[in-house]
Amino acid sequence: MNRKKDKGFESPRPFKLTHQVVCINNINFQRKSVIGFVELTIFPTVVNLNRIKLNSKQCRIYRVRVNDLEAPFIYNDPTLEVCHHESKQRNLNYFSSAYTAAVSAVDPDAGHGELVIKVPSELWKQGDDLKVLKVYIEFSLDQPKGGLHFVVPDVEGSMAERGAHVFSFGYQNSSRFWFPCVDSYSELCTWKLEFTVDASMVAVSCGDLVETIYTHDMRKKTYHYVLPIPTAAPNISLAVGPFEILVDPYMHEVTHFCLPQLLPLLKHSMSYLHEIFEFYEEILTCRYPYSCFKTVFVDEAYMQVSTFASMSIFSTNLLHSAMIIDQTPMTRRCLAQALAQQFFGCFISRMSWADEWVLKGISGYIYGLYLKKTFGVNDYRHWIKEELDKIVEYELKIGGVLLHPTFSGGKEKDNPTPHLHFSIKHPHTLSWEYYKMFQCKAHLVMRLIENRISMEFMLQVFNKLLSLASTASSQKYQSQMWSQMLLSTHAFLKSISNVSGKDISPLIKQWVDQSAVVKFFGSFAFNRKRNVLELEIRQDYTSSGTQKYVGPIKVTVQELDGSFKHTLQIEENSLKHDIPCHSKSRRNKKKKIPLMNGEEVDMDLSAMDADSPLLWIRIDPDMSILRKVEFEQADFMWQYQLRYERDVVAQEEAILALEKFPTPASRLALTDILEQEQCFYKVRMQACFCLAKIANSMVSTWQGPPAMKSLFTRMFCCKSCPNIVKTNNFISFQSYFLQKTMPVAMALLRDVQNLCPKDVLNFILDLIKYNDNRKNKFSDNYYRADLIRALTNSLTPAISINNEVRTVDNLNADVRLILEEITRFLNMEKLLPSFRNTITVSCLRAIRQLQKNGHIPSDASLFKSYANYGHFVDVRVAALDALVDYTRVERCSTELQWLLNMVQSDPSHYVRHKILGLLCKNPPFTKNTDSTLCNEALVDQLWKLMNSGTSHDWRLRCDAVNLYYTLFGLTRPSCLPLPELGLVLNLKEKKAVLNPTIKPELGASNVVDTAASIGIHGVGMSFTAVDEEPDPISLGVCGVGQPPQGLKRKVETPLGSPPEPGQVLQQQEDDGRPGRYKIRFNTMEDEDIDMETVHDSQAFIHHQLNLLDRPSTPGKHIQTTTTARTQNTTTGAKPRNTVPCFFLLLLSGKEPPSVEQSMLSMPATPVPSFAKESASSMSSKHGGGGGSSGGGEHGGHHHHHHEHKKKKKKHKHKHKHKHKHESKDKDKDRERDNAHAFSNSPASGRSLRSPSLSD
Amino acid sequence: MADPAVASGGSLNAGGRGSGSKAATSPAENYYMARRRTLQVVVSALLTEIGFESAEKAAVETLTEMMQSFITEIGRCAKAYCEHTARSVPTLSDTVVTLIEMGFNPDTLPVYAKRSQRMVITAPPVTNPPVTPKALVAGQKRVHPAHIPSHFPEFPDPHTYIKTPTFREPVSDYQVLREKAASQRRDVERALTRFMAKTGETHSLFKDDITTFPLIAAQPSSIPYLSALLPSELELQALEETDSSEQDDQTDSDNTAGNIISDDPNADKENPMLPPNGVVPSAKNNEDNMIDNPYLRPVKKPKVRRKK
Repeated sequence: MNRKKDKGFESPRPFKLTHQVVCINNINFQRKSVIGFVELTIFPTVVNLNRIKLNSKQCRIYRVRVNDLEAPFIYNDPTLEVCHHESKQRNLNYFSSAYTAAVSAVDPDAGHGELVIKVPSELWKQGDDLKVLKVYIEFSLDQPKGGLHFVVPDVEGSMAERGAHVFSFGYQNSSRFWFPCVDSYSELCTWKLEFTVDASMVAVSCGDLVETIYTHDMRKKTYHYVLPIPTAAPNISLAVGPFEILVDPYMHEVTHFCLPQLLPLLKHSMSYLHEIFEFYEEILTCRYPYSCFKTVFVDEAYMQVSTFASMSIFSTNLLHSAMIIDQTPMTRRCLAQALAQQFFGCFISRMSWADEWVLKGISGYIYGLYLKKTFGVNDYRHWIKEELDKIVEYELKIGGVLLHPTFSGGKEKDNPTPHLHFSIKHPHTLSWEYYKMFQCKAHLVMRLIENRISMEFMLQVFNKLLSLASTASSQKYQSQMWSQMLLSTHAFLKSISNVSGKDISPLIKQWVDQSAVVKFFGSFAFNRKRNVLELEIRQDYTSSGTQKYVGPIKVTVQELDGSFKHTLQIEENSLKHDIPCHSKSRRNKKKKIPLMNGEEVDMDLSAMDADSPLLWIRIDPDMSILRKVEFEQADFMWQYQLRYERDVVAQEEAILALEKFPTPASRLALTDILEQEQCFYKVRMQACFCLAKIANSMVSTWQGPPAMKSLFTRMFCCKSCPNIVKTNNFISFQSYFLQKTMPVAMALLRDVQNLCPKDVLNFILDLIKYNDNRKNKFSDNYYRADLIRALTNSLTPAISINNEVRTVDNLNADVRLILEEITRFLNMEKLLPSFRNTITVSCLRAIRQLQKNGHIPSDASLFKSYANYGHFVDVRVAALDALVDYTRVERCSTELQWLLNMVQSDPSHYVRHKILGLLCKNPPFTKNTDSTLCNEALVDQLWKLMNSGTSHDWRLRCDAVNLYYTLFGLTRPSCLPLPELGLVLNLKEKKAVLNPTIKPELGASNVVDTAASIGIHGVGMSFTAVDEEPDPISLGVCGVGQPPQGLKRKVETPLGSPPEPGQVLQQQEDDGRPGRYKIRFNTMEDEDIDMETVHDSQAFIHHQLNLLDRPSTPGKHIQTTTTARTQNTTTGAKPRNTVPCFFLLLLSGKEPPSVEQSMLSMPATPVPSFAKESASSMSSKHGGGGGSSGGGEHGGHHHHHHEHKKKKKKHKHKHKHKHKHESKDKDKDRERDNAHAFSNSPASGRSLRSPSLSD
Repeated sequence: MADPAVASGGSLNAGGRGSGSKAATSPAENYYMARRRTLQVVVSALLTEIGFESAEKAAVETLTEMMQSFITEIGRCAKAYCEHTARSVPTLSDTVVTLIEMGFNPDTLPVYAKRSQRMVITAPPVTNPPVTPKALVAGQKRVHPAHIPSHFPEFPDPHTYIKTPTFREPVSDYQVLREKAASQRRDVERALTRFMAKTGETHSLFKDDITTFPLIAAQPSSIPYLSALLPSELELQALEETDSSEQDDQTDSDNTAGNIISDDPNADKENPMLPPNGVVPSAKNNEDNMIDNPYLRPVKKPKVRRKK
């Protein structure tokens, strides 16, 4: 909200970049390497510019020169490894904050960078007259993992013949991955780009191709590009390959590039691009800002569409021939999206990350206008509803999406989105899903603004922004005008208020500065006496992702006399709204009923309530609030709404609502809609599925043939022989889509036994059998794929007898038929592949479904072979999906490992991203479930993956974080043994961050108390030990060590914070698995038994543990400890005494080597005595518990005791979280010692002793 | 009595010449050879009658030839006369007219025939006249209808003009046809895929029985997008049959135009403007045939001095 600051753009850098040269003079496809240099022309804006920070990742930098003087430089990339390897921290909170810190540390928007160049001192004085500096950097990239992607097919021939190509990619600002630059959207400059490539290749890049020149040996050529329009480095891209070139026949300055052999597809796919150009230029009344435009279609694209200044890189899979129906609108959408972003995103860039929403919003909005024009209003409204549903679902499930985050004062504490497991401070820390939703919300909000100020004004605003920018773009740098090309939220809002004169700040406040959506519940009653509709609108604004809405809301009421719009005011406390009804006359005569759009229709009014004139009611029909509405009205009202309301959104809402009313009347309404040709096809498609659901609910009373069968027969089968489908003719796309959908929906029908009805299955099999596409102008691949999908839908779980192994012989007869079709389809695909291998994709899904339902043996090998590199990407994703599902169902760790290996090694970035996405969507286990898959090795592996394994790809790293979150949650994974170190202190930040999630869990768990009490035991010991066992050493350990630690602790207190170990402990108990806990003690006891013989250090450790444990053992100690505890709680100061121990632990944790060394030498003398002491303490403990000193028994006691205390102390601990955490640490330490002391390092845990010894 | 023999011999001989000369061993050929030998004997007898005691073989041969030609001509001519009068068998008068026509006085014939010194030659051994192999008679020959005189040629065998049903009546029922087409295609596909599966690597869905549902193993390809995106030849064919799409025509012509023009070095910036909407560029193209697209320009040769 503090948009005051932007009175113009203030660069965070002490210099201004004006021009940059990027020259890549060698691209080696064999070695996948690149050599080149950059030269940045900068104007210092401070007097003594001695350091220049630039962004660079991956690049090997050979030399840096500033104005021809060699300049020293430092290269440090903290994001390479977020948490350093010695850290055993495994909780996501810790990671997220460390990652955010790492990203911030090199954030160009804050003036930082990985590459720090020291300006030679000779040049310093130049700063006075602010002279130009030229920074020249030579660099190379060797097998880059990010930024540039090499696709080198493994076939015979030269690189060009093989179709090898390379292109730049990345999520958000990622140019630093392939050349050193200021990788910020707000640092604009002009560009000169030179690329020397093999003579058989084409280099496509941003700006105008000035000339192409052969090298002297004529074997290579150099492409010279000039981009005179100031552009940010992230908007620079490159694609090199043996591209086929197509000059757009309608616009000669537009050039299309595709890989060899695809030219015919390119011609067809690009044949309507000019229409999109025309559309945007017309509505924006502004020319396309660049002098040329290039589209490049590449294989293994990172995203379907990525746009850069004057060029866009698309996935080659968007290309299609004229025979393909389904892909056509998708490709057009992608092109339109890319082009919209050319205006807003490339040409006009954002001022800061917080302003991203404006650009995404505007480009999304004008893209929507294109959709409306091209695909029609119905499709547009359908799309808007879809987007709205998506964002609402996401926000209600995950939490709010904040469009304009403000970080006041840069304090991380004011995290505006505490519900998220990642920071939204940087684009690079966002989860991909969140970013998608962010874009979705941005354009919906833009639409809300349009609703408020009208489209004319909206377009005027855009035009104004564009003309300002284009004026600025033609200026020389010195005029300081370039910042006009940067768009900020403030400038945008100002422009809106200037143009429209309207105040939209409430709207902005509600949707932009605040996250979350609105959830309405509506119901009504008709008051006949007053002839008034009493509408009640309630809100849920307490659950996550919701907010309160106050303001106007539109309601339309369809009455007998017509449709009426009402605007109600939602206020703080008013729930009820009285709306007077217009229709006084009850249906006296047959009269046509006027609809909203002026149409007058005859209706059969017999279904309605005789007392009320209301046909249906809609809340917020124009979707002018980001909301979810749950409205209650009678089934007949929904049916009227479905039949007679002309708005597709209303129809879809009605369909959704009718699912709850499985009556013959609903059935009829749906069937009528299905048959109605004028009805929007997507509504009809949706009606199919609703009808299937209704039929299933009505299964016992259903009359006649299965739902939709006779309808399908009438529409698509031969008149003479109704069981045979007509030969395909897909000229009418609407009926094509319906023909595709109906079998899929029909297959969802179930009979009384919950099986798919026999005649439905046979019907589908007949459709497959009689499918004949020979006379069709269009390909039927999607149709056939959907028929397989229908077969898949018809599957129900197999009746399993005694878990027998699935064999061919006991295959169900129907399933056998299905399987034969699938086998044949899948095999035919090998000989005659379908477009995008849609059939294979469907078949793989079907096979997985067969496996899952127990018809055929569950087996992953088939999917594995299809998931391998070398198959078409859609097939791979389908196979991976099946594998992920297999992993979850079978809990198979080898498959999971296989998938994770692929995440690390697959050449395709998209597939890597997809695997993690699929794993998140369908996780093998979650934090709340128990699984054998969840083990330490997996935690380590995933940790490694997100910590250092994915540093080359922002998106992938966030995916890994997401997966980690899905599997383990925010806290330390429960499967881990307790950590070696009680507290981990972040020396860099001089603090140990308190895990915020500990708190909520504390309240719920008892174990915290255990932990706390254990912690306190230590203290109790120091007071009580004297009475019981006058043991100077133990006193020394706890008591003597305290004072200095306490001091330190005090110093550190504000920084220090309870660590997570305690919570692990607590989690374990939470999970109802105290066993682990016990076992640990058992092992300890076992060791104790051989105390005399074990290694000294071990004995020492055990002793320590026993010291700590003692108070909690049954017997007389109880009292003393409890008193000690009460003392602690009352005095408040004393519990702190416990802290120092941990704190030292902390320290030692941070610097293990030194501590370890010191400790290794320590135990030599004290051990024997300790051992004895502990042994004696043991026996004393056991005294209460019976003669045998069996470990298990002891452990049992121990545990029991904890619980006992828990109950006692619960309330007291509430206000003592801090102490608890600390004590938990101690506890955890102990645990860790137990777990690790024997296996890991003898040094572990010894830190306990360090205080006394150091003293 | 010699006349008919001669005449028939001539006519027969004529027929023989037409067909003969190559297959000397065939019965028909033997037959003609025998005739000719008889004729030779006749010529020799005549020569003896006249008073020759010996003759060269070549001379006898020539005379035989002449004799044969003469007789043949009489036969041919007589036949022509007979046919001229719309008959099929020559009569005596036909022969007489023929003889007269050939400058031969038929009145001298009886005298010559009754000369005293004539030698009687024994009749040539009767060889079986060649039997023209009987054409396969299929069915009953039709008799002439009443209005056709019986001397007209008989009808040929019925199979030559009557359609012969060698197959059953084709089924034209739509349903059955679709059914057949469908099952045929399915059978072909199944057979083909099974064959492919048998001859290559397979996956199996069941561990116990790897043959029941054989799946052709997935083979990774180096450039997977090509097969996935490009329409198969089959589909392309179908497309060509169904339509000659208009947009292809447009782009094709434009692009070729563009490519031709591309090497015009003087192409100056003609086309920075977008073409106004609705104008079909192919028409426009012809006027300003200059597509100035930097990617179509020829690559420049390096300048010697140009070395950065």
